[in-house]
Amino acid sequence: MEEQLRTTWLVADFFTHSYRISGSVDVRYRKLTDRLNDRTTAFLQLEGAYVSNIEHPTDIIASHASSVLRKHSIVAVVVARQENGLPPTHTYGSYLGTCLRKVFITVPSFEIEGYLRLSSKLDLRTVLTTGIDDFVSILDGQMRSSLRPDITFTGGVILVNKDYVDAFWVEEEEEE
Amino acid sequence: MAKILVIDDNAELLEMIQLLLEQRGGHQAILSADGADGLAQALADPPDLAIVDVMMPGISGYEICRQLRANPSTAAVPIIVLTARGQLVDRQAALDAGADDYMAKPATMMELLDRIDALLTRRTAAKLPFLARTIVLLSLRGGVGVTTLAVNLAATLAQTEEGTACLVDLCPSSGHVALQLGLRPEPNWSDLARTSVLDAEVIERNLLQHTSGLRVLASPVFPIAGQGLPRTVVQTMLATLQQRFAATVVDTPSALNEGTMAALEAAPVVGLVITAESPSIQTAIGTLRALKQLSAKFQIILNQNTPGSQLPAGAIEQALKRPLMWTIPFDPAQAQALARGTPLVLHSPSSPLAQAMRGLAQELARVARATAVD
Repeated sequence: MEEQLRTTWLVADFFTHSYRISGSVDVRYRKLTDRLNDRTTAFLQLEGAYVSNIEHPTDIIASHASSVLRKHSIVAVVVARQENGLPPTHTYGSYLGTCLRKVFITVPSFEIEGYLRLSSKLDLRTVLTTGIDDFVSILDGQMRSSLRPDITFTGGVILVNKDYVDAFWVEEEEEE
Repeated sequence: MAKILVIDDNAELLEMIQLLLEQRGGHQAILSADGADGLAQALADPPDLAIVDVMMPGISGYEICRQLRANPSTAAVPIIVLTARGQLVDRQAALDAGADDYMAKPATMMELLDRIDALLTRRTAAKLPFLARTIVLLSLRGGVGVTTLAVNLAATLAQTEEGTACLVDLCPSSGHVALQLGLRPEPNWSDLARTSVLDAEVIERNLLQHTSGLRVLASPVFPIAGQGLPRTVVQTMLATLQQRFAATVVDTPSALNEGTMAALEAAPVVGLVITAESPSIQTAIGTLRALKQLSAKFQIILNQNTPGSQLPAGAIEQALKRPLMWTIPFDPAQAQALARGTPLVLHSPSSPLAQAMRGLAQELARVARATAVD
């Protein structure tokens, strides 16, 4: 039996240019991607935020019961389980006609590797330029600190803020 | 039942873990929603195991680990760090702070219980004293569970800090030690009976390796006509194994053949296994009489291998005119363990049988040590 110790709060790691902020987001009614891409508010409320410097990502330098992040300051969000971070269009069973593209992305302070799920007919160049979503979902992602490559963060999905993408490579194509 | 302290500022999760520990794990859960309070509780009344969240207001889980390790009364308490910070760097930080294990949320309930069981077993096993002795288990009445007890006892001893234990199957009629361990009995001791040079290297070559670390000298698959292993071979073999292993457990056949007699003479402790039924007790009385010269080293182990009402222990002790050293309770899971080829002590470390086996191992070690002092 695979019962999980699950709550209605999703804990994720939010990365800004200088900080790793671990905190809980209420996901009772909406997915995290919906909340990040919701343009009606520029802020995201976190419960129990724990702050670390990205060069010392396990040392908690501050903690607050409640805090607000400015979405535009978020470079990337690492979510442990894919289903907790994926947009609704990526739900199980909606994979027909899509393909996985292995990608490599650089953002300030980090390099990100993982897979992008796309409609096979979609031109990859349009990923960053079309659509209204601010965050792109990288599946099975690994994020490595540019300054300290020994520090990596992995997640079922990494949500990357398109505004901070410096460069974007497609490494190979895999059939799904 | 273990006393488990859970420190987590998430009240909802605390409640779920309490249900898990108490209703499924049969443990006592002590809860604390505050890091400082939880640490104070642990220091005032050390638990058998602590589950600690990392991200808590005031004091972090890492700091709690460090303080528990720094205090002599809690330095050996197993700690599981259960946290939503689930990155490799977090795992390393938890281990560096003194945690024994690390789990990222969301964790499955069964996985958490498994980790708890594993740590509790490791802790209990670590407390088992160094044995450096041969223990023989015997019953001249078949079907009382000697092989099952020998396998589980040896598997328990293999988990001690010394971690070296060997199980010898002396049954010449297709002994079932290898079967219970899920091992193919090749090689086995049939070659030892034929070899002209019996030294440590030859014996080592004939030992099987179980995944638990237990080494096994299996008996041949096909029954052997005659007496089985000669007395001199058993004497040399046991003397060699005693040099090599912290504990050697010998499963003997239901017959006083040469090999059995050599093992009985070599061992400082003999566990005479009985069940709570008249034929078994009658056979034990006969065994003690027939082996009067060795009976001082015999310890009576009652194996309750069937469910339901049993003869009272007092009546058995009266009949045998000696006390029962240990009682192994009936455990229905044992039948599945036999079918699975995994000793119950390894598959279900918190099962009644596993707990009883750890107690038996400690008691046998105590007796063996007392014998050595005498």
